Amino acid sequence: MVKPEQFIEDAKLQIKSQLKGKGILACSGGQDSTLLSVIAGMVSRDILVIFVDTGLLRLHEVENAEKIFKKYNINYKIIDARQRFIQNLKGITDPEQKRKIVGKTFIDVFEEAAKDFGAEYLLQGTIAPDWIESGGQSRDTIKSHHNVGGLPENMKLKLIEPLRDLYKDEVREVSKYLGIPEIMPFPGPGLSIRIIGEVTEEKLDLIRKATDIVERNVMENMHERPWQYFAVLLPVNTTGVHGDQRSYGKTVAIRFIDTLDGMTGTFSRPDWNLLEKISTEITDEIPEINRVVYDITNKPPATIEWE
Amino acid sequence: MKIGVIDNGGQWTHREWRVLKSFEVDAEIFPNTVDDEKLIDLDGLVLSGGPASIESELSKLGNIKQYINHDYPIFGICAGAQFIALNSGGNVSKAVHPEYGKKEVNFYSKGSIFYDIPEKMIVWENHNDEIKSISDDYIICASSDTCRVQAFYHKSRDIFGVQFHPEVNNTEYGTEIFKNFIERCKK
Repeated sequence: MVKPEQFIEDAKLQIKSQLKGKGILACSGGQDSTLLSVIAGMVSRDILVIFVDTGLLRLHEVENAEKIFKKYNINYKIIDARQRFIQNLKGITDPEQKRKIVGKTFIDVFEEAAKDFGAEYLLQGTIAPDWIESGGQSRDTIKSHHNVGGLPENMKLKLIEPLRDLYKDEVREVSKYLGIPEIMPFPGPGLSIRIIGEVTEEKLDLIRKATDIVERNVMENMHERPWQYFAVLLPVNTTGVHGDQRSYGKTVAIRFIDTLDGMTGTFSRPDWNLLEKISTEITDEIPEINRVVYDITNKPPATIEWE
Repeated sequence: MKIGVIDNGGQWTHREWRVLKSFEVDAEIFPNTVDDEKLIDLDGLVLSGGPASIESELSKLGNIKQYINHDYPIFGICAGAQFIALNSGGNVSKAVHPEYGKKEVNFYSKGSIFYDIPEKMIVWENHNDEIKSISDDYIICASSDTCRVQAFYHKSRDIFGVQFHPEVNNTEYGTEIFKNFIERCKK
């Protein structure tokens, strides 16, 4: 296992030795990039943390990130790029294409931010599963992580990635050591890969509401929580009955998964009553959705996220 | 002590490296195209899994054939184990029942680096091909209900193989198998 104190010292040293000038740090508000932001903040004020509001985020995500930046006295900037992301994703249904477009849009935003700040370096919280699953050389591409598979070949910014050899459990351990709150894993491409099929603003609204219901219920009712728990909006309409009237509504899948490092995992076995409560709340509060299913697949053969 | 991990493109190659590191072994990942001379000073070698079909895409395993002539202990995992079987004169081809994820294996013969693990254990699998046969120099010591060759070891040399993945967290007793392998490398 990782030794937090030693790791932090090594990471600081790596940043110090590689950073020759100014750098921006890509922060999604997730555990990995938040940890990197805190460590980078200890090293230099020449690093500006950039948080992009992609419009693919969960409820309150921007505010939550900002709270942490303030708590750790981090030099940060929030960029509103909501229109840009949704425009670029228009008409796209293939998951790999979605991931690449999100990655490319991120990089475009970062390159502009770097230019404004006069930065030559890009710090990223890339961890081991990101580059492993993104493929390359002899490795098959399972899914392109936005911070690896989305990088253009001719990128001008020089990369610094101090977390490359860490897995999620180790990131959590180091974060805990620094007093950073536990943040549930959330994919870089955000809700775009939790909508199967084309991403639209209406669908984003639906999945955002469903995600909030799932997260709230788990937080309030489960003492020992799964590693990750979320909702996926499926492109499947089915027949239902709403107040004696026929309905033909959308389907949401719920996935709870337990894993140590994200590389293998088993679906969780929560209480049926909790699943029923979540299901009823979703169909009551979101009239467009009339069916909820639960995912009972391990990793492998499935991956954690659906896309 | 230093143990190398030959990367055949597996999703869990880096996990193998990490498990070795967790035992404070000096471990290094090498691509399977590395010059064999770079592996001379090692004390042991792990051959990782990978996406290639051993039967039809052997070239994707690079120079792996050269690596298994070293005297130090060699541990093949998934495609790495399949290669050892093939190289011994055995057969590897498409699995009748490919296995992905959770599986129970039965260790009916205990020995070598598998001496102290229980008869039945839960393992994590991920393979399309399987070992149909292996030379008589090897003892097959574990099976699952859908795959006959799950683990084997050489009768006189320190060469071992497993079809399942001891390096992932969900496999029971995986770290024990690694620990035993490391012990062998210390000799």
